[in-house]
Amino acid sequence: MKTSRLLLKWSWRDLRAHWPKVTAIAIVIAIGTGGYAGLTSTTEWRTVSYDASYAELAMYDLRIDTASGSTVDQGTLQAVVASFPAAASVAASEERLVAPTQVDASTDAQTVLVRGAIVGSDFSQGGPHVNSYHAFSGRLLNEADSGAPAVMLERTFATFYDIAPTGTIEVSGGRSVDFVGQATTPEYFTVAPEGEMFMSEATFAGLFTTLATAQELAALPGQVNNLVLTLVPGADRDAVKTELEAALAEQPFGSTVFTRDDNLSYTALTTDVDQDQAMFNALAFLLIGGAVGAAFNLIHRLAEQQRREIGVGMALGVSPRLLAIRPLLVSAQIAVLGVLFGVMFGVFIGNAMATVFTSLIPLPTWETAFPVAVFMRVAAIGFFIPFLASAIPVWRAVRVAPIEAIKPMHLTAVGLRGGKARRVRNTFSVLPFRNLRRARRRTALTVLGIAASLTVLMGFLGIMDSVFEAVDTAERESVGSAPDRVAVSLDTFYPVTAPQVVAVQAAESVDVVEPTLRVGGSVASAATEFEVFIELADMRNGMWSPTVSSGELTEQAGVLLADKAATDLNLSVGDTVTLRHPLRDGLSYRFVESRLPVLGTHPSPLRSIVYMDLGQAGMLNMTGITNALNVLPETGSATAQVQQELFPLGAVTSVQSVTAVTDAVRDAFDQILGVLRVMIVAILFLALLIAFNTAAINLEARAREHATMFAFGVKVRKALRLASTESLVLGIAATLVGLAGGFAMVWWMTQRLLTETLPDFGLLVVVNPQTVAIVAAMGILVVAAAPLLTVRRMRRMDVPGTLRLVE
Amino acid sequence: MLIEMKDVAKRYGEGPLAVTALDDIELLVDRGEFVVVLGPSGSGKTTLLNVVGALDTASDGLVRVNGVDITRASRRELFDFRARTVCFIFQSFNLFPGLTAAENVQFGADAAGSDADASEVMASVGLADKMDRFPHELSGGEQQRVAIARALATKNPILLCDEPTGELDFRTGVQILELLQDQAAAGRAVLVVTHNREISRMADRVVELSNGRIVSDGPPVGGKAAVADLHW
Repeated sequence: MKTSRLLLKWSWRDLRAHWPKVTAIAIVIAIGTGGYAGLTSTTEWRTVSYDASYAELAMYDLRIDTASGSTVDQGTLQAVVASFPAAASVAASEERLVAPTQVDASTDAQTVLVRGAIVGSDFSQGGPHVNSYHAFSGRLLNEADSGAPAVMLERTFATFYDIAPTGTIEVSGGRSVDFVGQATTPEYFTVAPEGEMFMSEATFAGLFTTLATAQELAALPGQVNNLVLTLVPGADRDAVKTELEAALAEQPFGSTVFTRDDNLSYTALTTDVDQDQAMFNALAFLLIGGAVGAAFNLIHRLAEQQRREIGVGMALGVSPRLLAIRPLLVSAQIAVLGVLFGVMFGVFIGNAMATVFTSLIPLPTWETAFPVAVFMRVAAIGFFIPFLASAIPVWRAVRVAPIEAIKPMHLTAVGLRGGKARRVRNTFSVLPFRNLRRARRRTALTVLGIAASLTVLMGFLGIMDSVFEAVDTAERESVGSAPDRVAVSLDTFYPVTAPQVVAVQAAESVDVVEPTLRVGGSVASAATEFEVFIELADMRNGMWSPTVSSGELTEQAGVLLADKAATDLNLSVGDTVTLRHPLRDGLSYRFVESRLPVLGTHPSPLRSIVYMDLGQAGMLNMTGITNALNVLPETGSATAQVQQELFPLGAVTSVQSVTAVTDAVRDAFDQILGVLRVMIVAILFLALLIAFNTAAINLEARAREHATMFAFGVKVRKALRLASTESLVLGIAATLVGLAGGFAMVWWMTQRLLTETLPDFGLLVVVNPQTVAIVAAMGILVVAAAPLLTVRRMRRMDVPGTLRLVE
Repeated sequence: MLIEMKDVAKRYGEGPLAVTALDDIELLVDRGEFVVVLGPSGSGKTTLLNVVGALDTASDGLVRVNGVDITRASRRELFDFRARTVCFIFQSFNLFPGLTAAENVQFGADAAGSDADASEVMASVGLADKMDRFPHELSGGEQQRVAIARALATKNPILLCDEPTGELDFRTGVQILELLQDQAAAGRAVLVVTHNREISRMADRVVELSNGRIVSDGPPVGGKAAVADLHW
């Protein structure tokens, strides 16, 4: 009992003597464990939040869409649902009218002209009861608003453009409507309109209103084109869907039944949460790996300093088990502090991530409670590491003969062997290098400890570089040789001579109009198949054409695939790809497959873009037909002017700069990158802590040498220079290892992990010079400068006392 | 006089907890003198050495070494003083483990800015064949000889030795003392701190301390003995 009290007291003194290092090591562990908990637990609380939000707003289980562009009389779809054999399985159903529109939310300060959709629902009797709404500001519509020119603005769109809670906007046809609030509904938790390419809140506005108002705005009185329904608990969704499809097949109008799993917004959240998590998990493992590696090294070195005292204890006959208690008690203190700080850091990271997600995805319910279970698991690792780190040097000390353990540290150096040494001109120049050489294992551990954090830092920064480079590449490709190009989308297919097209050409702000075709489809090879957007434009003489990275555009029929698409399809230039595309058949369209040669590839990272020359429109039976226009504004006219002028044209659904797509992609990546930014700050702090601790421990290990130097009149400045040189060498070695590790991490993330989680986006391994500079600055400059933090202790050193220390 | 201490006192702490390590010290040491400072543990002999070597500062009094009043010197001047005027030999050697024996000696020259040839100095202490060995490859006596060689390489006029034979056996200790005696003969002032009364027999002067005060200062009792006559 007495002994254990003494050991406790002794270890408490150790803690007080080393408190800055103990605290710093604990924070290193905390960053690793807290960061890990924060990153790996997102799936849990995101899933809970999504499920709760979908339940709260009663997202549909099944949705009926009438054939594209067609509508039916109000009540028609309800009648089918009320009478089909599985009607008893339907809990609630409501008809809607969803109509495309353009939205002008411009103010004096900014021009906001985007595509959008008017969603008209039944607000009677407290409805809608399926796909209902949650207001974040202003108010929800109600039955009294039926038919009034009042809408609710989709929340993320309003937030993106910083639009006031209430006000007035214009929709297609120059109609003014009041918006009474900002709201969301399950299909808009994240903005991913079906059939659209890379639309986001920056480029698409949802307008929610009453059914009567929607019918009035779309000039479709008494019409609906959509029904949403929920099922009673326990109902077999697929069976009900089959029954419903059978019932609808007997109707005189075309329709399709979708499940909620077919909804892009729904799958973007529920499926992508797992994909996001895969990346977060990888980053979390790297983070905790780096922190644990660094903490291990620091604790190891701290415990190693007690080696001689352990030897003395052994010489005095104290049992090794008892001797191990003291260093392990220091580890326990670090472990407890690490867990405590880890909880705090975990809460901080969790909150930061919650802030990122809640600001990007407006859900009615967010459950972002601290992930106790996840943290307990990782805290166990954080608690265990200090013991393992100190157990190894303690074990090494107690297993050797006491006389070996007692030997002064500097005499146990085995890294140097005498021989025919080369004469040195100045001993100061070799001392730092010899110090590193004589303790190679310790040097290697220190290098690896620093390198671990640099690897993670470079990995995080490199992923951001790769993503931004890909987005920039996509933007450069979109802009090409026609930076002023404006993309105009039409609401359907028109002959190129149709008045709707001519009206665009006639606009004052428009100089050149080139008809193009944009249709959906898919490409397939023996390797794989995926959906694509096929763009047919005048590739040889048009105002814009994509860059050809391999092959060449010829008059021959064929396609230009994205480099990423060609790689995934395992196809080269000259190979044949199976293209599934629409074929006009009278007034309707059907999909057919054509086998076409790959004429070349383009460097856009967007895998889903396939280019064809407009001359091949005949293959789609669409010669002389267009649904999208490339427009060059008149000299002196801005995109905003073109937008303003074309906006009132009924057939025009969007007028956007060609960078709108990449803006949308950039916006989509903000979600992940926002989290990365939070982590990068933590990693920078981690690297600083490791550098400081390394310097502090080095100072202790070199205290006797420094004291000897001071006794010989060597100035503090020079001793610091020697310490900095030693740290510099460590920093350079750690930076090289960290850069190599970081590069490998970026390669793995972009070429392995993200190819699975983001298959439509081709990422190259890109590490910007700035990233290398940041990592090098952290690894070389900060580590080399870290000894400066110890200058005060060096100046205050008790030189006689240190010299008399009998190691 | 190379070393002049006048009315020197050194106190640690304040108030009732204050400890007086040196009190009313008057000491003069000239070139070529071999002075042994003798006293039991806690008598203040190492403190005296540290004050002379400017590793510690006197609380009161005057300490003038080689013409420099180190009680009034700035921090920078004290560093220069240590580099150019004194050199230390420690009980536990304090060699740089990362440097070879010859390099440790060269360090002394580098620190003092002297032009001493490390090989020659090594040879002068009988270690010509151990120049490329690292400290952990040398015996205790060899390490102390390297430490002496390092001090000699500074070419500084004052040699301050703190229990230089404390970790050595008798035979090795005698060799070390002979080396130190040679340095005094060569014109250096050698100040050796020890609790070993036998060693004081070979000194030119013995300064005995007790409770921080000089209780005697003069030639050894019974006259100066040859190193070969020492026994402990």
